[in-house]
Order: sequence, then C-alpha cells, then structure tokens
Amino acid sequence: MEGKRSNTQPLTLLRKIKGFTGSIVEDLARGRAPTIYIDRFKNYCTDTSGNCSCSSDGSTGREAISLKRECHARRIDVLLRVLLIIQQLLQESRHGSKRDIYYMHPTVFKEPSVVDRAINDICILLQCSRHNLNVVSVGNGLVMGWLRYVESGRKIDCISNPNTAYPIPVHVEEVDDIISVAQYVLVVEKESVFHRLANDQFGKRNRCIVITGRGYPDVPTRRFLRLLVDKLHLPVYCLVDCDPYGFDILTTYKFGSLQMAYDAKFLRVCEIQWLGVFIQDCDNYSIPQQCLLPLTAEDKRKVEAMLLRCYLQREVPKWRFELELLLHKGVKFEIEALSVHSLTFLSHEYLPSKIQSGGYI
Amino acid sequence: MEVSSVQMLYTHVIDFLYSKTLIFCAVQRCRLADDLCRLSVKLTSFSRFGRSLVRISVSDTGVGSKLEEYQYLKYRNDAVLTNQWDGMISLATTSISDSEIHNLNLNLKESDSAGRLIKLPSTAKNGDKFSGTEVSVSISKSLDDLLAEVTCFLQKMILVKIPASSFLSLICFIIRIKCNYLLYRPLSYICLFNQDPYLSWLIVCFFFQKVVMELLVGGNDPLGSQIESRILAIEGSSAYSPVESIKCLEVGFKDYVRNRHTVFSIGETLKVGTGVANSSGSSQGNSQVVEAVVIISEMSEQFPSSCIREQDMKMEVLYFKDFVPCSIAQSAVDALTSINWKSYGLALRSIADHDGCIMLEWENLPQYFHVHIAIHCYHRQVKQLVAQNSLPDRNLARKAVKCALDDLKENNHRVLLSTRALKICDCAPDLAKTLARLILSSNDLNFQEECCSLLGLQSRRVNMDNVGNCIRDKIVSVIGLNDRNSQKHKDAPSFLFEDDYLQKEDFMDEEYQEDEEAYNSLDL
Repeated sequence: MEGKRSNTQPLTLLRKIKGFTGSIVEDLARGRAPTIYIDRFKNYCTDTSGNCSCSSDGSTGREAISLKRECHARRIDVLLRVLLIIQQLLQESRHGSKRDIYYMHPTVFKEPSVVDRAINDICILLQCSRHNLNVVSVGNGLVMGWLRYVESGRKIDCISNPNTAYPIPVHVEEVDDIISVAQYVLVVEKESVFHRLANDQFGKRNRCIVITGRGYPDVPTRRFLRLLVDKLHLPVYCLVDCDPYGFDILTTYKFGSLQMAYDAKFLRVCEIQWLGVFIQDCDNYSIPQQCLLPLTAEDKRKVEAMLLRCYLQREVPKWRFELELLLHKGVKFEIEALSVHSLTFLSHEYLPSKIQSGGYI
Repeated sequence: MEVSSVQMLYTHVIDFLYSKTLIFCAVQRCRLADDLCRLSVKLTSFSRFGRSLVRISVSDTGVGSKLEEYQYLKYRNDAVLTNQWDGMISLATTSISDSEIHNLNLNLKESDSAGRLIKLPSTAKNGDKFSGTEVSVSISKSLDDLLAEVTCFLQKMILVKIPASSFLSLICFIIRIKCNYLLYRPLSYICLFNQDPYLSWLIVCFFFQKVVMELLVGGNDPLGSQIESRILAIEGSSAYSPVESIKCLEVGFKDYVRNRHTVFSIGETLKVGTGVANSSGSSQGNSQVVEAVVIISEMSEQFPSSCIREQDMKMEVLYFKDFVPCSIAQSAVDALTSINWKSYGLALRSIADHDGCIMLEWENLPQYFHVHIAIHCYHRQVKQLVAQNSLPDRNLARKAVKCALDDLKENNHRVLLSTRALKICDCAPDLAKTLARLILSSNDLNFQEECCSLLGLQSRRVNMDNVGNCIRDKIVSVIGLNDRNSQKHKDAPSFLFEDDYLQKEDFMDEEYQEDEEAYNSLDL
C-alpha cells in the first residue's frame, strides 16, 4: 500500500546510496574486497505440502556478490551504472523509464532484463519500491467505470462517461481524492475484452469499475488496483482466458510476480476472485468444439509447473483444481469464444449472471 | 645420474653425455668430501691413426671412486657409437686412507666381468694424504662442438651451488688459459671475455661454496703442454654466501637469465619466485628435495618486436639432479603438465622435448614476457652410486613449482593473476569510472571529501580521472589479493598427513575447472 514503506523519501534514498557507495570505497581503500549482500525473496516455491515459509514476505536467503567472479563483477558494474542514473534522477527530481535507462548503456546492459534485475537489486538494497527510485514504466493499463480521482492535481472523471477508457496513472502515488459509486471492480485480462465491454455499454448497465492490464499487468496497473481496493473496499473479480497464460496473469494479480517478490506485499491484490472463464464453462455455456484448442506441449509444461506453486494448494485449492481440470481436459479457449452465441453475450449474460449467482472462486 | 638416465645415455648417441655422466659422479664424490674440492674438466684434442679424437678427463678431489659406480654402465652395440668410442674408460682413484693411487682400465665392450676390468700398476702417494679421481674417455668428436656443449653444460651447472658445511664464501677462480688452438675459433663465449685477438682467455671458474671447477682445453701436443693456466684472482665476499641451496639456485638462475638475455635488455625487470618441497623421507631417512625457481623477465618494449624470433618465445626448463644439469625426468615433465596454469593466467601451448631438453611454449604470453623455470631435485644425503638415486617424485616437483609460482605471485602484484582474475580485472576500469562518477556527481560535498580522503587523494587533485584511476588501482589490487587468497585456500586444506595432501592436489585442479564452468553458467 502506498505510504506503507518508511524511509523512501528521495533524500533518505540518496543518503542510502551514499552509504552504499561509501562502504564500497572504504572496503577498497582498506584493501578489502567489497561484497554486496542482496536479500532474496520468493512468493512461491514448489513445496506442494504448503508447509513452506513463502507466505511470510520475509527474505528467503541472501546473495553475496563480490569481485571474486567475473559474472559478479559485471553484475556490480551494471548495478552501479543503474545506481548512478538513479542518483541523478533523485537529485534532479526527474523520472525515467526502464527503457530510458537501458538505452544509456545498451552495449553494457545487453538486454532490458539486465536493467530490470539491477533495478530490483537496488530496490532490495535500499528497501524501497521501484517508483521510489523515480523509475517508472510507460503506462499500459486502462480503466473505465464509476470512478473519479485526482492525479497530480488534475481531475479524472470516469463517471461522466463510464464506458470511456482512461489510461491508468503512471505515478500512482500522486493519485488522490478517489470517489466511486461502483459495486465491484472487474479486471479483464485482455484489451479486446475491455473494449468489447465498453462497446456494449457495460458500464452503463453495471455499477462497476473495469480495469485491464493488457496482458501481464505492469506495476502501475497493479498498484492502482491495489489502491482502489484499499480505498474503496470493493470486491474484485478477474476474467481471464481459459489457458495457462490467463491463469498465470490471474496469479500475478493475486500473488505478485516472482521477479518482484520483494515488493509483492505492496503489489498483490489478495482479495481478487476468479470469475472465469473456467473449463467447465464450455459445457455450461455450450461452446462448440470448434472454439476449443488443444493444449500444446508448452502449455502442458507450463500448467504442470504452475501446479507445483505452493500458494495454490495453501490459499486457493479451488483454483488449483480448475488448473488440474484444464490439464486433464487438454483443451483451452479464449473469453471471446463466448461470442459464439452473440456479440453481447459476455456483457449481457455471462458476466451479470456469474456475479449475481456467485459463480466465482 | 639415475639408472634410467644411464640407460638413456646409450639410447642417445650424443657422446657428450658420457662426460656428463662422469661429471655427475665427480660432483657426488665432491659432495661426500668434507673439504673444499676442485673439479677439472679437460678437453684435449689429438690424432691417432689419422682420426681426430678428443680426450675428456674429469678429475676431482672428492672422496675416492668405487668400482660399483661403473657396474651399471653397459655398452650398446651401435654403429654410430662404435665409430665414436672404443668403450674404454681410464680410471685413476685414491681414497684419503689409501697409500697409493689405483690405476684401472674399464672395457665396457667386454661383457665378462673378469675381462672388463684391467688393473694397471698403482702409483705411490709417498705418504701424502689426499683423495681424488680422474676418469678419462677418448671419443671421436669435433673439439669445437664438444667445447660448445661443455661450456653450455657448465654455464647451467654453475646455477646450482653446493652448500658447504663451513662458511666458505664465494670463491671465483679465473683460470687464464693461453691456448693457441682457441685463437682461430670464433667462439663468442670466449671472445666475450677478452678482445685481445692474440690471447684468448677462457674463464672457467666458478664454484661457489663446496666445489671449484675449471675447464681446460688443450691442443695436439701431449696433455697439458699447451695449457698454461694460473690463478689470476681469488676473490672472497662473505656478503655473497647464501647458505640455503634454494637461495643459491635463485641467485644463479637470475644471473643465467640476465646473461642469456642481455641482448633483450632485460635489466632489472626480473620477477622471481622460489619454492621447495621435501618428501617425508625414505626408510634410510634420506629425504628428497625439489627446489624450483620461476623467473618472469620482461624485455624492454623498445626492443623491436620484429627482432624477436619464434624460438625466443620458447623457454627451456633447466633441470638439475643432485647439483648437475640433467635431462629432465618424465615425472618432472608430468608435474609441469599437471599444473593448472590457468590459475596463473598462463596457457601452455606445447611442451617440446629436444633430446631431453624441455621447451615450454605459452599461448597467451605477451610478446615481451618470458617465463623461465629451473627445477633442482636432490637428496639430502649424498649417494655415490648412481643406481641408488631414485626418480624425482612427481608430486614433489609439482608442489615445488607451484610454490615458486605462488611465491612470485605473492611478491609481485598483478603478476601471474589467474585467467579468472584477469577477466575480472577487465571490469576494473568501468567499475572505477562509475564509482568515481557516483562520488563526484553527488551533490553532497562532504560525501565527496570523505570518499577522496578514504582514497588518500588530496582535495586539490580531485577530478574524475584521478579518482577513477585511484579506484581502478585499488580494485585491481583487491582482485590480486583475492586471487592469491583463493589459491592459498585451495592449496592448503588441513590434511593431517602431507602425503594425503599431495595425493588430493590432482583432484583439486579438476574441481577448479568445474568451478570455472559453474561460474560461467551463472553469467548474466
């Protein structure tokens, strides 16, 4: 939750950066090999007994990076370069994207994921979230519905036209004065479904807020959803494709991603409930065989790997059962398959009936 | 020379080796003697039945010779050998307690032991108390070639100095030899010493603490008639009298490298490491010792690279057995190949064997660098009989060379860093530059001052380059320290028994290789 982290003000972070730099310089000056210790976090493991400590949000170990290995030296080089950029951003109160950072030393960073890792390492070292470092990603998410808020002093009034898509604010910490008369929040995996609902005037018929992360949700989308849930205390339903990727996106909303496990408690939305589409929906809603696609070998591998995640057994066994069913049936289908009956079937029939009847898990 | 070397003597038709064998035995007799000894090598050319022959005489004032010393020598019927040597060895020897000098002829061609040994009339000592031996063979060989070989051999031999029990200091004899025979021989090693074309000086001297050696060269007349030698100087310097054998080897080897590479302007840029390994001892309590000296020389970069020949990039490994240069033992070659050179930043391209002389060639050595290695294997307790000397232990030789490499690395920062450390060093400039920018781009001036103070930089000299260079040097220094420490930890597990430790070393290198791969797999 915003403001839950302490000591994340720019001046505090700059002081931490100086402390970190100073300790390396001191080690070198004294002829000692500097060693950087980075706590390791994970939000799940493969212990299906559920007896693990992944739910504790604490670190699960500590990694020592030193100048004893070439790969470590290169990693420290990347980390320091990113830290230098962050120091400049914080000192000048400017923001930069991961992409901006990547293109400052593309030959050293080699690929954007290397910058990602360095930023995550720095967040862990400085005990802050990514946005505290003034590193932001380009906003990817969309929102519409019965919602009004102020972003950086500018009023965003979705209520005036609840079927119009608005970009989810990038600087979520600058969102204020949230007002809503919605009864629930609906998160949809795909932008196409989001626009289907907008086109069907779903917002006019249903007092809700609809959000999409357009695939795997980025940090601002998850932070914004988390902010809405914390402020408005509304139930949250999630609609994803009935395939391994849809399920993975669903778990990202609920449990956070493994890469940012250190920040999971500030990004996850534990309250989220799975609305569909389920594998048995193809029978319940008479989806023809032509709309069903067989699971590929890669799909099966991904499902089998996800079934091992400890949090499924421990916290959402029904979800796990659905996943097993998916693997057992060996087929998958998209949300859009519901349009086989009519274009508006999803917005007029499926969603209202599911929400009213409690057809979510 | 050990039995295998004696056998090798006959497998290589290099007649010079005969004299090496004779010198080896003479040195061991000198080591057994209590006093300062003299060892003379005389090469005398003469003609017989129209053939040019050279008589090689090796005489010493050590303890008397034993006949058993020669029992292992066997003559191999070989056409080339038969043409060069008649198999006869003349021997004159006496012990301190003998009243006469025994004269013998040994005919190695004779397989029957009774016919093999021919006793000649003895020579009376007239009550004098002395001991010594003179062994001679005559071979068909060019004196020029033989002299070049003997000189090269002796130049190596002076590297190892036989420690004396007393405080005998360096004694340098310069034997002035007036030898007309040599006037017409453009032998550089002779002319080096004297520019007078009418009087060649052959300096032969040398020895050090226990044994003084001379090389005499004579012409066609009866032995000695054209050799006029006299001692020109005897210098003594108590300051230059290393007692430890390894120190002697170190000093001698440094001189050897300097003299050998004066053309490359090596100067004072020698980096030296020494190592000693002892065996736990045999049942007779005679422990084996292997000493190793590794020298890295750096040629002046002003020396034109075009003048560096391919053979200059190959370096001979000098090998000594019981204080005598010797063909390298296979176990020592195995020891060299088993060393994980990567941990010293080296990659061995090849080990070439040229008639027992081992040449190392490196893959990645900078053009101006050379690695020189000398290995000396000996027994603390001198054994007169060649057959009693065993082969050097492979693990001992390996341990000694590794100790020398580690010693060199310890005392010379940035030298012999492992391949892994060198790769890490490649990151140092970038790391240093970023750290310098983190410090100097901070808007906290106090922080900048603190960091510069830690780095020992004066505030008025602070700029990006100075801070970066200072940090880079410290990073490289730390990497070197890490490298040396990791080597120590790798090499010094707490084995209860030294033998266990030696046996495990081989496996440790394999582990190192695996580690390297493991590190690579963790790459970004």
